[in-house]
Amino acid sequence: MRWFIDSMLGYWILVLAVSLGTAAVIYQIWLKDSL
Amino acid sequence: MFDFTVAGVEAPVLLLVLVGFTVGTVGGFIGVGGGYMVTPALIVFGFPGYMASGIDMTHIAGKGLVSTIRHRQLGNIDWTMALSMVAGTMLGVELGVRLLVYFKELGLSTIALLVTSVAVMFTLFLYTQFETRRAHKKICEMSEKGESIGREIQTSSLPRFFQNIPLSPIVRCRTARVVVSMWVIVLVGVVTGVLAGFLGVGGGFIRVPALVYLVGASTHIAVGTDLVEIVFSGGYGALRHSIEGHVDMMAVLFMISGAMIGAQFGSIATSFVRGPAIRYILSYSLILATCGAVLRLVYVLTGSSIEILSFFALVLTLGEMIFLCIFIVSLVVFAIRHRRGKWVPKWVPPLVC
Repeated sequence: MRWFIDSMLGYWILVLAVSLGTAAVIYQIWLKDSL
Repeated sequence: MFDFTVAGVEAPVLLLVLVGFTVGTVGGFIGVGGGYMVTPALIVFGFPGYMASGIDMTHIAGKGLVSTIRHRQLGNIDWTMALSMVAGTMLGVELGVRLLVYFKELGLSTIALLVTSVAVMFTLFLYTQFETRRAHKKICEMSEKGESIGREIQTSSLPRFFQNIPLSPIVRCRTARVVVSMWVIVLVGVVTGVLAGFLGVGGGFIRVPALVYLVGASTHIAVGTDLVEIVFSGGYGALRHSIEGHVDMMAVLFMISGAMIGAQFGSIATSFVRGPAIRYILSYSLILATCGAVLRLVYVLTGSSIEILSFFALVLTLGEMIFLCIFIVSLVVFAIRHRRGKWVPKWVPPLVC
């Protein structure tokens, strides 16, 4: 877990995972029915 | 949900404000208009393509103006460079649009657009990553030796080559501390303008690396100067789209209200970091946009039959905006913590100032 903060690549992967997860949630809540 | 009567669409207002804020932050920080992110996002929200393009262009002009004012206050604009480039940019955009019309007549416009996007963005990503990693390593070495580190570190030798071209008139860009042939700046304007006009975007993601790696401007100056170009090209585009009736001003208003705050924050955030940090974020933006374009390309080439690709392209477009916003905000937080002598990850100190 520490690697995700201490390494730039790890931090990149961590933030990307959080962002894509948030985007998927936004899609499910707001966009799925309206598209 | 709000009923946008001009566009004939119902869309969530909060999401539009959030998109505006996110793109404003990213634009103010890395000097891009964000057209390559906003237009697909608006299409995803249900706006017709031409309306998405018009709303995007109008909000970019407004947001670009806010960012430009802030960057001017921060001393990040070289007016000699910006004004020398405007004519070349306009000429390039016109050539790019004509090239697009040519491909449209051949019936290949979508594929040509996506293939060019992927090729240009991936090449820029590779070069930016390669050069920025070298600069990052150099800062670490200088830091270990106890040497003082400036705001900008560049390891590329390309600017020296272009600055040595002896073609009159030679211009002295005082703010950027660059002496270079005006033709080099005009050429950068034309080439980036052609790509911008062809791809239908403001062109910041091409112009910022071009100013850094070809002309030799520092990243902060490249960001500020590029935003001046975006005000010109975005303003012209907004006027053209408004005349054609492609703009829903309510949608623009909601997006600009978010973008104004984001643009201020993004511009101020540049004063917390060194040049390589901005170039890292730019390269991340490029690789994520490349992945989105590849997904859309595969979707088009497979006859728009694989729906899961469309879903992934959508999640990637939204995810990219959230990712860039979180990364910029966290870099600023790390920079403030570093200034106060608190703990930050090992990779952060060389990137912040």
